[in-house]
Amino acid sequence: MTDGSVRKLYVWFTVLGLLVGSLVVLGYFRDENRDWKDYQHKFIQEEIRRASTAQQRALAERIPLQIRQILLPDLNRVDRCTTCHLAVDDPSYGGYPNPLAYHPLHEQHPFERFGCTVCHRGQGRATTSVDAHGNVPHWDEPMLPVRYIQASCGKCHEAADNPAAPELVRGQQVFENSGCRGCHKLSGIGGVIGPELDKVGAHRSPDWLTKHFLAPASVTPGSAMPPQKFAEQDLESITLFMLSQTGETAPGYYASMRVIPSVGQGQRLFQQKGCIGCHSVAGKGGTVGPALDDVGLRRSTEWMVQHFREPQAVSPGTVMPQFSFTEGEARALTDFLVHLREQNVASNLPSLMSPVERGREVYRKYGCAGCHGADGKGGVPNPNAKTAELVPDLIRVAEGYTNDELRDRILKGQREITALDPKRPLPPLYMPGWGGVIRDAEIDDLVAYLISLKPAGEEPGF
Amino acid sequence: MKAPPLKKIWQWFERTRVGRSIFRVGLPQSNLERAQAMVSSFLLHIQPAKVNRHSLRASYSFGLGLISLYLFLILIVTGVLLMFYYVPSTEQAYNNMKDLQFVVSVGLVMRNMHRWAAHLMVIFVLLHMCRVFYTGAYKRPREFNWVLGVGLFLLTLSLSFTGYLLPWDQLAFWAITVGTNIAAYAPYIGPKLKYLMLGGNVVGQEALIRFYALHVIVLPAVAGFMIAVHLWRVRKDGGLSRPDEPGDTIQQIELGKLPTNKTYGLMELARGMTPQVGRNPADEVFAWPHLVFRELLLFLLVVAMVLFLGIFWNAPLEQLANPVHPPNPAKAPWYFLGLQELVSYSAFWGGVVVPGVLVMALLVLPYMDRDRKGVGRWFPRERVVANTIFTVCLVIAIVLTTIGSLFRGPNWSWQEPWKRPPTVTEGR
Repeated sequence: MTDGSVRKLYVWFTVLGLLVGSLVVLGYFRDENRDWKDYQHKFIQEEIRRASTAQQRALAERIPLQIRQILLPDLNRVDRCTTCHLAVDDPSYGGYPNPLAYHPLHEQHPFERFGCTVCHRGQGRATTSVDAHGNVPHWDEPMLPVRYIQASCGKCHEAADNPAAPELVRGQQVFENSGCRGCHKLSGIGGVIGPELDKVGAHRSPDWLTKHFLAPASVTPGSAMPPQKFAEQDLESITLFMLSQTGETAPGYYASMRVIPSVGQGQRLFQQKGCIGCHSVAGKGGTVGPALDDVGLRRSTEWMVQHFREPQAVSPGTVMPQFSFTEGEARALTDFLVHLREQNVASNLPSLMSPVERGREVYRKYGCAGCHGADGKGGVPNPNAKTAELVPDLIRVAEGYTNDELRDRILKGQREITALDPKRPLPPLYMPGWGGVIRDAEIDDLVAYLISLKPAGEEPGF
Repeated sequence: MKAPPLKKIWQWFERTRVGRSIFRVGLPQSNLERAQAMVSSFLLHIQPAKVNRHSLRASYSFGLGLISLYLFLILIVTGVLLMFYYVPSTEQAYNNMKDLQFVVSVGLVMRNMHRWAAHLMVIFVLLHMCRVFYTGAYKRPREFNWVLGVGLFLLTLSLSFTGYLLPWDQLAFWAITVGTNIAAYAPYIGPKLKYLMLGGNVVGQEALIRFYALHVIVLPAVAGFMIAVHLWRVRKDGGLSRPDEPGDTIQQIELGKLPTNKTYGLMELARGMTPQVGRNPADEVFAWPHLVFRELLLFLLVVAMVLFLGIFWNAPLEQLANPVHPPNPAKAPWYFLGLQELVSYSAFWGGVVVPGVLVMALLVLPYMDRDRKGVGRWFPRERVVANTIFTVCLVIAIVLTTIGSLFRGPNWSWQEPWKRPPTVTEGR
């Protein structure tokens, strides 16, 4: 081969060498050029602009460009949100637009202990805004719209009566009152017609949930769930409550405040511990201890908390036993007693209720209304059911059943619903057997309630 | 000709004490030095001092074997860099991928390059094998090197397959689940083999650590060794195959026929062919620069190709592996999708018989097909039967792989890729 052919190789060396070189340079600069550096530059400029003394200015100029992160090993999270949101903990940035906005401090939830994504969701490890905010393929936890943020409280705290998360409380109330549990299990309580809801918030988006409530079949083809007619506010609340059900279990420290002291918790404790055995409320109850109707007037809250923790310490010689209440439980009971004189909460105490009143609560607790309608009035569609394609109402059960028959029917259920047209698919809704789910005491109350639904003034029929 | 400044500096360096201690022969100026440069360098000595012009022709070999070698080298370099950040634990592996993407400097590019180079290596090793087949280059005296090549092809697949699990995302988890299930179809040993691979009955931490050890130590070491032997055999079998090769004269000296009452120098024992024997010197050129420079150029080209892919296309990463949420359909890595497609018709035939017969056929091929006609030319008329059979098998494999990759939807039902429903996965 001649020298010329070798010289041609040199040309190729130059071309390919330059190509590889420029690709290396390109790759490096593409990698170096990251969103977060721009945000940090802007932050540093803002700090310099705001500096009033030369010293402050010098400090601001020395702020390093670096990735900032909150390491949360217990939560298996690394939150790098503060790489761009640099002023979350600086109140002087209140009113600034994102990413430099200030985040009001949570005294109970310091950033260094909780990070950001445990409440806001999103992808904490990411360092580009699109990836971090999480609306990207293959990331199941996009950021929660702020109007649903209280859903995250439910990860670590009980929803019931949580005074710090009113939206969440409201969501749970809508859930319980709408009879969802008639078909769906949540925390082990509920029917078996629909899927369990314990993890629904981890893999469904707010949009999906909203659509699903209004028209279930539009997002889950073939769904047997009747469309729900929620008012706008209720729809948002129950969506929020569903989003709170992620099935995550908070570890260690994060699980230490499961229940936030509240009147409701105090009321449940009051019922469970059998306080009414010795004390009376509204004239009902025991007489060993003093009546509690106006105890809130007689005693300070500090005295009551101390009394629950250690009765002998503030009331020497008292016969009240020491119940080993936690600080939170003592506070909840105190709150309840203080409220006792302000509101008529005593009538909510199950042990002070009539069986029919208790039965109404049972009807609510197990979601009977989901199919049989509020107050047993029916009206929920059940395509191809012989009963006018509706789930039957319950207001006349007193005419067709004895108490024992009714009880039996609830416990055993009815798996096969008679079809109107045998050629069409079987009716999707059916009566699950509630034996082993509803407790014995509850079933008696429920039967009493159902019998009581008979419209007043009507003669007993046949 | 006036030497350019860089060359001058180099020549000065060669003359220093240090320079002379490193390079026995400097930049060669004469033909003698060109030959010496090849023989005296560790990296170059595996190649001859002079090569046949035919071997330099890009249209003959397309450099496919070399490209495969270069991809292997790129994989080792990027792989070692990835090892600095990777912890083979089900708790950490996926997070390591995210950190590579979001905080490690050029971490994402390294991972992309590793991924694309791995896919390319599977393709180029296969293409290399096709080239060797279509030119009849597996015939005597290169039979055993073909067998080594088949082994290297299987090793390449194993390397890719073991690496597939390491990101510990849904793609990895289910591809390995499906892949090891195919292996379990083998009679008698299948289930045991799967258990051995996974260290259990399902993909989990034990499988991850096994795949990791195989991927970063065992398989690369074995592959590196076999590549060395493969290259050594190329040299010892007389370089690249070519049409005018005096094939039958290439033979081992029969030691038994040599008188034993004298001693022998290496030259007398070495195999029959040196570049000079039996060849026309006009067909030969010096390996430096004609071969070595071309090899370096090809290296630059391969690096450029992989860099380009790595900079502009991201390697896939799906959700964290979730053993209770299988995607529908769950698919093996793409190079096994032909097998998965066959398995969907018959587990035994697709998972055992077909791959078993194919590998056996490849291994015994050079010993069955012994006619030396048509060696060293593409698609020679003398080899029309062999080439037709090979092409039919190849086309079937490609068609099956394409069907498995693109035309299979939920429950492995037929689905044209352009008619895919908007959301196959469950709604959010």
